[in-house]
Amino acid sequence: MLIAVLISLPLFASIGVAAKVYIDVDSPNFQLFPIAICDFAITDPNGAAKSKDSGITLADEVKRYLIMTGFFNPLNKKSFLDNGSANSPVSKIAFANWTMIGADYLVEGNVTQSEKETSAECRLFDVIKGDILFNKKYTAAGSDLKALARNIASDILFELTGDEGDFNTKIAFVAKKGNKADIYTVNYDGSDMKALTNHRAIIVSPRWSPDGRFLAFTSFKGGEPEVYIRDLKNGSERKVASFEGLNLCGYWSPDGQKILLTLSKDGNEELYVLEIETLKLQRLTNNYAIDVSPAWSPDGKKIAFVSNRGGSPQIYSMDADGNNARRITFEGNYNTTPSWSPRGGRIAYEGLINGRYQIFTVDEEGNNLLQLTFDAADNESPSWSPSGRQIVYSSRTNSKSKICIMNANGLGGRVLKENGGNVTMPMWSPRWK
Amino acid sequence: MKKNLTWIGFLIVLVFCLSMFAGCAEKKAVVKEGAAQDQQVTSEQAAKDAAAKAEADRLAREQAAKEAAERLAREQAEKEQVAKVEAASAAAENAVKDIYFDFDKSNVRPDAREVLKANADYFLKNSAATIIIEGNCDERGTAEYNMALGQRRAQEAKKYLVNLGVKGSSIKTISFGKERPIDPGHDEQAWAKNRRDHFVVKTK
Repeated sequence: MLIAVLISLPLFASIGVAAKVYIDVDSPNFQLFPIAICDFAITDPNGAAKSKDSGITLADEVKRYLIMTGFFNPLNKKSFLDNGSANSPVSKIAFANWTMIGADYLVEGNVTQSEKETSAECRLFDVIKGDILFNKKYTAAGSDLKALARNIASDILFELTGDEGDFNTKIAFVAKKGNKADIYTVNYDGSDMKALTNHRAIIVSPRWSPDGRFLAFTSFKGGEPEVYIRDLKNGSERKVASFEGLNLCGYWSPDGQKILLTLSKDGNEELYVLEIETLKLQRLTNNYAIDVSPAWSPDGKKIAFVSNRGGSPQIYSMDADGNNARRITFEGNYNTTPSWSPRGGRIAYEGLINGRYQIFTVDEEGNNLLQLTFDAADNESPSWSPSGRQIVYSSRTNSKSKICIMNANGLGGRVLKENGGNVTMPMWSPRWK
Repeated sequence: MKKNLTWIGFLIVLVFCLSMFAGCAEKKAVVKEGAAQDQQVTSEQAAKDAAAKAEADRLAREQAAKEAAERLAREQAEKEQVAKVEAASAAAENAVKDIYFDFDKSNVRPDAREVLKANADYFLKNSAATIIIEGNCDERGTAEYNMALGQRRAQEAKKYLVNLGVKGSSIKTISFGKERPIDPGHDEQAWAKNRRDHFVVKTK
C-alpha cells in the first residue's frame, strides 16, 4: 500500500488535482482503505449522563457512511490494541499499534452534547507515515449525530480521494405495480423513501436537471407517452412534448437550458434537442434506424445515444449538433442506455452477454471496455453519482428487482432498495448544497 | 209631508235598530261562523292534505313508474348500444388479429403479412372505424429502447396497412414498450406472445 501511495502521488500531482490525493480509487488494483475508527471520547463538562453512548454512536455512524462509499474497510474494534485518546498530540499516538493490526488510517476524536447542539472534534491520521492529515471541528443542531457523521465521513473521503463524495444526493427511480407506476426518491444512505409523482400510469426515464430542482420524465398519464417536467420546489408539472407517436425524455444539457428527446413525429424515432423555455425544437439525427436514449457529455459538446443503424442496438457518440456520429461499442449485439460519467472520459451502458444484461463502461473513443457486473441477474439502467465514483443500476431476476450501487470499477456493491415489486430506471441526483 | 217625515223618522229608527240588532247578530254569527270555520278548516285541511298526499303519491307512483320505464328503456338502449359496440368490437376482434415479431425486430414477418391482409380487409369494409395500433415488446432489454422498438413495430404495421389501401389518417400508433405484457411469464413462450402489435378498433 505504501508503494501504491508513493506511485499514485506524483501521478495525481501531474494531472493537477487540487486536493492531496492519496489513492487512485478507480484503479482496478485498488484495495479498500483499511481504516481504524475509535469511539469518540466524550467531553462532558456538565457531567450529563445522557451523552454517554454518543461517542460510540458517532463512531458507528462514521463507519456506516464510510462503508457506503465503497472505498473503506473499517477494522473491527475488537482487534484494536489501543484506544484513541482525546486530544492526544501526534507524538503520543503509538502508530505501530495501528499498523500492526493492518490499519493505514486512524480516526479519533471527541464529542460534546449540550441542550442545543452537538459538536465534535475529529482527527484523521496516516498511521504508516505517522502524520496527522486533518483536525477539524463539527457542529450540528440538536443531537443530530448522523449529520455530524456524514460531514466527518465526507471530509475523510475528500482528504484521501480528492472528492467530496455523494453524501448529499438522492436517487430517483420508477416503482411499478401492474401497469401503474410512479417516481420515488430515496436518500443516498437508503433513508427517506417517498413517492414524488402521483400519475398511476406507465412512467419511464426520470431525468434530474443539473441543479436538482426539476425532474423530467415520460408518462402515459394522458393515455399516450408525453414528456413532463416537474418542479420539485412547488410540485407543479409542465408538459413539454406531446407530439404524435413517441415522446421520450433524454438527458438535460449541462447548463440546464435544454433537454434531449426521442420523437417519432417525423416518421421514425429520431433525436431532438428542446429549448425548455421557448420549446424550440431542433432535430439532430436523420436516419431510418431507431435512434434513442440520448445522453450529454459533461462538457455539453457530445451526445451518446443508442442506434440500431448497424443492425443491432449499439452505443454511438456524436457532436452536440448531430454531426460526426460514430459507433463506440462493438462487443455483443445489444448495447443500450448510455450514461456519461460526470468526470468525463467514460460511458456506462448495459449489454447483453451470455443471455444476461450486464453493466459495462467504455471510454468515449470506444476503447478500454470494462464489464462491471457478472451475477445471474439482468443489470440495467446505469447512472453515475455526481462524484463519478459510483454507479447506481437496477438488478432484476424473474420476479424480484432491486436498486444497487457499486463503485465505478465494479467493486464494493450494496443494495440501496429492495422491493417485492418492480423498481427500475434509477437516476442519480446532483449534489444539494 | 208630515206623514212622509214620520215615515222617514221611523225608517231611520228602524234602520238604526236593525243595524244595531244586525250588528249584534252579526257578531254572534261571526263568532259562531268562526268556530264552525275552524272546524271546517280542520276537516277541509285534512281532506285537502289527504287529497294532496294521494295526489303526490299518485304523482310519485306515476313518476316512479315513468322513471322506471325510462330507465328500462335507457338501459335497454344502453344494453343494445353496448351489445352493438361489443358485437362490433367482438366482430372487429374476431376479424382483426394481433401480429407477432421476432426478438429485437420490427419487420413484418411472412405469417404477419397474412394477418395484416385480413385486418386490412376488415378496415376497408369498416372505413368509419378508427384504428389504434399498439406496439409491444417482451421484457428483455431496456425500457427506453423497447419504447422505440414498440413504436417502430406499430409504425411498420401502419405502413403495411396503408400500402393495402387503408386510410393513414384513420390509424394512430402508440408504443407501450415492454411495460404492458399480455403474458407475465419469463420464458420464450411468454416473450413470443408479448412481442406484438395489438389493434384496437373504434367504431362510431
